[in-house]
Amino acid sequence: MKRNLLTKPSGMIACLTSGLLFAIVVVAPLISQSADESRVYYDVNREVTLSGTVSGVLSRPMPGMMWGAHLLVTTTSGTLDASLGRWGLMGKGGFSVSIGQQVELTGVMKTMNSKEVLVVRTVKVNGTVYTIRDEQGTPVSPQARELIGQKGDGL
Amino acid sequence: MNRRVWRVVLAALCLALIALTGCSSSPTIVTITATSGSDQTMLIRAAFSAPLVATVMTNGKPTIGTTVTFTAPGTGASAVFADGKNTDTETTDMNGVATSTAVTANTAGGSYMVTATVSGATAPASFSLTNTAATFYSFNLNGLEVVNETKTGYNYYALAGSVAVDAKGNVVAGEQDYNDGNGYLSPQPSGDAISGGTLTVDATGQGTLTLKTNNTNLGPPGSPGTEALGVQFVNTNHALIIQFDGSATSSGSMDVQTLPAAVSGNYAFTVSGVDTTYFPRAFGGIFSVTGGAVGGTADVNDHGTVSLANAISGAVTSEDPFGRGQITGISINGETLALNYYIVGGEVIRIIDVDGSGSGLGSAFGQGANASGASSASLGNSVFGVEGNSWATPYAGAGMLVPNSGAGTFTGIADEDEQGTFVAGSAISGTYTIASNGYGNLAITNAGLQHLTSFGLYLTDPTLNLLDPNNASGGGGALLVDLDAGYEGGTGMVIPQTDTATTSLTGNYAFGAQEYSGAGVLDGWEFDYIGQGSIAAGALTGTGLVSDPFGSIAAVGENTAVPFSGTATPDAANVGRYTMASLDVTIVSGSPVPLAMAIYQASGGYLFWVDEDALTLSLGTLQQIPSGSRAGLHARSKQTVQRKN
Repeated sequence: MKRNLLTKPSGMIACLTSGLLFAIVVVAPLISQSADESRVYYDVNREVTLSGTVSGVLSRPMPGMMWGAHLLVTTTSGTLDASLGRWGLMGKGGFSVSIGQQVELTGVMKTMNSKEVLVVRTVKVNGTVYTIRDEQGTPVSPQARELIGQKGDGL
Repeated sequence: MNRRVWRVVLAALCLALIALTGCSSSPTIVTITATSGSDQTMLIRAAFSAPLVATVMTNGKPTIGTTVTFTAPGTGASAVFADGKNTDTETTDMNGVATSTAVTANTAGGSYMVTATVSGATAPASFSLTNTAATFYSFNLNGLEVVNETKTGYNYYALAGSVAVDAKGNVVAGEQDYNDGNGYLSPQPSGDAISGGTLTVDATGQGTLTLKTNNTNLGPPGSPGTEALGVQFVNTNHALIIQFDGSATSSGSMDVQTLPAAVSGNYAFTVSGVDTTYFPRAFGGIFSVTGGAVGGTADVNDHGTVSLANAISGAVTSEDPFGRGQITGISINGETLALNYYIVGGEVIRIIDVDGSGSGLGSAFGQGANASGASSASLGNSVFGVEGNSWATPYAGAGMLVPNSGAGTFTGIADEDEQGTFVAGSAISGTYTIASNGYGNLAITNAGLQHLTSFGLYLTDPTLNLLDPNNASGGGGALLVDLDAGYEGGTGMVIPQTDTATTSLTGNYAFGAQEYSGAGVLDGWEFDYIGQGSIAAGALTGTGLVSDPFGSIAAVGENTAVPFSGTATPDAANVGRYTMASLDVTIVSGSPVPLAMAIYQASGGYLFWVDEDALTLSLGTLQQIPSGSRAGLHARSKQTVQRKN
């Protein structure tokens, strides 16, 4: 994960503190997941929840990124690449978000192409939770959102 | 009363008796004439639209209750009646009219006479009928739909059918089923009727098949009801196909049908598509058909639920003249499916899910000796390919396996791309089991193929050719269903690896692939291509058709005469594997789009190839065009000028 360098000492202390917290909350599950990561695409037991400010919205991936839409989110630990999948920003039931907005993301940290990415399952924006993937990590299409809504089923 | 009066009375009585009894000195004249039903023309194996009607008269008056026998020729072009025989006996009604049962053309083309005879008539009535000769093709493909982009966006879709093409390349008739699981479904149980169109290919076997249907929801907006498929014949019986009209993009195959053929015996099968909540789904297994009853075992990977060895049961209806029928009663994850099938031959059928909600496409292959005598030893050195469907998590992989049947283990090499994250030439190993009925599984236990670890494995008849079902040389193989959570909708096949010599990779080849893209201009993510060319010293040079309605690698549209070129470099450490660092697809002159390919050789005739790029991935095949057969590739088609490679 790319990190912003902080130059002020106080900022550095804050960075170290938050970095330690990040290491406990995020990196520890990531490391412990590594052994199993190749066996299970999305392990809901290894989910983390992060909050931050949207610093970028990508409807299409940059080279080297996981396919689909992405949010770049500035957290206390740096900038996070959050994968929203194929339909995260698309169609009925998708959500819109702007740079500068606060979001809360729940997902599983993965390493892909030697880069860390949060595979997002849910996004909370303006108090509303949007489901991006199901608990197996399968992206939820607009068609699925509509059909599940009609049937009253859950994900 | 005097004698004169008596004579007059006697004469009058005599005349009266003659009149009443019909006694006459003139002969009785019985005639039979063809009243209607003559001069009909019908496709072979199809029912004529009208029965044959003959009228019997005796001395100019209707003959009631007499027997009329209709007789069609015993050999050659002919017809059969409702009981399947070439004769039909009927009784005249009060108008002297005899009407045959339904008349169906047999399998031979040509004109002929059917006679109607009655006792006493000196000459039969004759009906002139003509059977239109045609070749029947089964076609099937699935992909991503462009039309019907509702508020929810593009949809998955499946299309399967049968089309009869005459010797001049005219589409005579056909049937098809189309289903996107989200509003566009061909009417059931009839399906769509195909009433016309053309098959036009050049001498390399490349061209288009247009299908005029009665379903105006399909096809591009400018030609409602008319679909266009790109075709690339490998041989006269087998072609790779893509949808090629901008209404959708997809990949599949087209094969000559051997009809009639009953669906009976033991089959291995897979079906991939979307479920009722529009999540990707795949299922597969084995089933048997006995007297129309279906029973079997299926593995299901559906919306996070991987369930193994589910008992399935149902029934199969008999096929119609296009080899189409229904499979009813099979329940998957609590949903009873409506499935239609199209027969390719007695051991190969295509299956399409025609539920109003949910969709899917697949195949069933006969199991032959592997229905009861399979074991771990039934799987030999093999090449495999697997790919998610157009609605699944995008991934594709191919590789080769060396089983150790005694230990139930395997080793191998494979390439796989998951949404741009790929492994190339990755060592894989694991375990597999095969029961005596051909039902089995395969597990990759060394994490060599990223998240792909678990597959259902279903053995087919070792005499079949899974890629080219009409080819008697094949060696069988197995079908695969991906059983990894999060990878629902993935299916594939395993075919024997019999020849890894680099010198065998030479000659003319048809090729194609179903590509997924992470960077289309529009929101869609699929493009498809087919083509043909020659390979010499590993260098491929060819031309093809590229369907790219979402602008994944070029401007949005259908692209013809697209140059393809690249060089396959043998992997010295893994004989049978090649890399093609850059398969250049040149849609825009001077701006080739390079695709990085890995190739696995089953034999000189059949190879899988995968695209492993950061923003594109695919699975496809290279299939050798038999030496000297190019001239025959445009048989049964309208012909165009041959292109230069």
